[in-house]
Amino acid sequence: MNKIFKIRTNLAFNIVSAVILLLIFFSLIVSAIGYVSFTNAFYREYRESTCNMAQTATLLVKADNIDTYLAEGGTSDEYLQSQKNLDKYCLKMDVSLVYVIKVDTSDYGRFTSIFNSVGRNTPYSPWKLGYQQDATNDEYIQVYKDLYEGNISNGTIYRTKDLKGAPPHITTLVPIKDTKGEVVSLMCIQRPMKELKDGRRPYLINIAISTVILATIVALLCTFYIRREFVNPLRRIATETDRFAKENKKGDELGSVSKIHEISTIGLSIDKMESDMLRHIENLTAVTAEKERIGVELSIASTIQENSIPNIFPAFPAREEFDIFASMTPAKEVGGDFYNFFLVDDDHLAIVMADVSGKGIPAALFMMVTNILISDRTHMGGTPAEILTFVNNNICEHNRADMFVTVWLGILEISTGKITAANAGHDDPAIYRKGGQFEIFKSKHDLVVGAMGGIKYKDFEIQLNKGDKIFLYTDGLPEATDKDNKMFTLDGMINVLNKHKNKNPEGILDGINESVSEFVGDAPQFDDLTMMCLELKDDKCLKTLTVDATTENLATVNEFIDGFLEMNDCPLKEQMKIDLSVEEVYVNIANYAYGDGTGEAEISIENNDGEITIVFKDSGVAYNPLEKADPDISLSADEREIGGLGIFLTKKNMDSLSYEYKDNQNIFTMTKRIL
Amino acid sequence: MQLSKKLEGNKLTITVSGRVDTITAPEFEKYINENIESITELILDLKDMSYTSSAGLRVILKAQKLMSAQGSMTVINVQDDVMEIFDMTGFSDILTIE
Repeated sequence: MNKIFKIRTNLAFNIVSAVILLLIFFSLIVSAIGYVSFTNAFYREYRESTCNMAQTATLLVKADNIDTYLAEGGTSDEYLQSQKNLDKYCLKMDVSLVYVIKVDTSDYGRFTSIFNSVGRNTPYSPWKLGYQQDATNDEYIQVYKDLYEGNISNGTIYRTKDLKGAPPHITTLVPIKDTKGEVVSLMCIQRPMKELKDGRRPYLINIAISTVILATIVALLCTFYIRREFVNPLRRIATETDRFAKENKKGDELGSVSKIHEISTIGLSIDKMESDMLRHIENLTAVTAEKERIGVELSIASTIQENSIPNIFPAFPAREEFDIFASMTPAKEVGGDFYNFFLVDDDHLAIVMADVSGKGIPAALFMMVTNILISDRTHMGGTPAEILTFVNNNICEHNRADMFVTVWLGILEISTGKITAANAGHDDPAIYRKGGQFEIFKSKHDLVVGAMGGIKYKDFEIQLNKGDKIFLYTDGLPEATDKDNKMFTLDGMINVLNKHKNKNPEGILDGINESVSEFVGDAPQFDDLTMMCLELKDDKCLKTLTVDATTENLATVNEFIDGFLEMNDCPLKEQMKIDLSVEEVYVNIANYAYGDGTGEAEISIENNDGEITIVFKDSGVAYNPLEKADPDISLSADEREIGGLGIFLTKKNMDSLSYEYKDNQNIFTMTKRIL
Repeated sequence: MQLSKKLEGNKLTITVSGRVDTITAPEFEKYINENIESITELILDLKDMSYTSSAGLRVILKAQKLMSAQGSMTVINVQDDVMEIFDMTGFSDILTIE
């Protein structure tokens, strides 16, 4: 099947078949034309020569005496002589019949035979004088009539098919006129037409043979030509393109493959295309390799940049006075935004938020320099204004690239909550006051760092109280754009901040990131997105107590818990339930965690918007009190066991309990909503 | 926690006030054990007992078991919060509370 299809789609085969078909068609037309013109010429020639014969034969008959012959019954010597002459003539001319008839001129439908001579090899027997017969058909009647009336000088009737055993023949009729010029009878000669058949067949065979020979020659020539100028060149081109597609390597040039201009052009074009393509492949390989190298370097640069700023959280697990969280999402591998925070001393935390003009590697390099300068200078002491003044002068001195950076630098005095800050053209932070909302804190903006040397920056102060939060960001946040080019906007940012205002800094940043991702959707991130949130923690929020796990210390634990609950306005009823639960869990730890020895128990209590969470940690033997079955409280006093009620009471009095064993510690957590 | 007693023949009334917790419960238990010999009717007046943990419940259950062998025990003047704990633990069914 495949092979047949291949042949059918083969160019040479198709063209040659078309040529052969065309020639066959052509020869059929030629044969048909030849057949018709041969037949016509034969008929004309036959008619004329037979007509001449008939004319000649009329001379052998004495027209004036025809009626006399009929009357006498053909006994006169003259009649017999004429009959004899006609017989001789008939044989001489090799015709089938020579006969003379007298037609009944009333309707020309009947005739009487006068003379009748029959030739050799004919199926006829001669008619006697006076023999009468109806005209063979209307054609004869018409010819008889026309001849008698003088409309035509001779008539011819063709019988091309065998008729009553007679071979095809023509009958030519000429009038015999008497001396007065009247038509008295008709001279008819019937002549066989076997010459037509004999002549036409070889003629047709000749035409057929010569056509076949001609067709073969033309087809061969055609094939040869097509193969040389079309098929072979195209095959070479096909082979070469196939090879090139597979190998992608330089091969022999095709050059001029054919004398036909169009085909030759294809070959030359393919040569050119191959060399062009090879050059492009080479270029592309080089470019790709270079791109990969840059990619690897960028990824390393990205890691270096990420690690140049604090990125492990919680950043200060030992400090309970504040909580800080920050994130940086560069638009490209490396970014120009940065945040930083570090303890200058035990009571001072520096926080930096900055945005370098531009993006990518130049911005990243500029960012590294600025960040190092700021943090080094901050460690040397001084106010943010002094630090920025120094950093600005330093950068301007070497700033050949005309880059600049906006900086918000603040130093928090942890014990008092006072932030001293300076703003070099950076976006104003948002501040959350405990119990209130996030709001933009407007301050005086000084010139961006790196624009002009010799500028004096000015300090301003922000007082943070316990429970307050400050949120710093770069313009990538309010200017985050969705696919319709709509911006997230400052109002959008404040809205989202307030939606998450009660969360800790990490929760707030997660909330913002989620909202921004949702807003931006599939649109590409255009600018770096950097933000930082600092919370000055409320003492009321979290307290931790670590004691030796002994029953004697229950009083200390109670005092710690009660103190916290009272500060958080816990209703007495709930306080009692919490006290009870704390006692049961703590006493359990004191009695069993460390066996006969002693160890520590850490108790932390936290208030999240009216939900109290208490976590007990000890390093004693792993024990999950929640696995203990509840006592059957339906038993009678005598049947009830003494004890086993502690954890049951805890379960009943708290909202939720959970236990895990992690890092060799039993961690038991319980929560209860009090407000 | 403060404890006091009033003896009327074989009837003893013990008044408990303040918190009965893990630390104070042993004292409460000792106080009962020392005073119920030849007592047939024990009254526990919890009018001023504001708090009890499972340690306190344990003492009360022990007392109930002892007293059911030698007489009877009645608990009176139970504060609401404590009563809630008695209900929670099924103690309200096994104690005679008035």
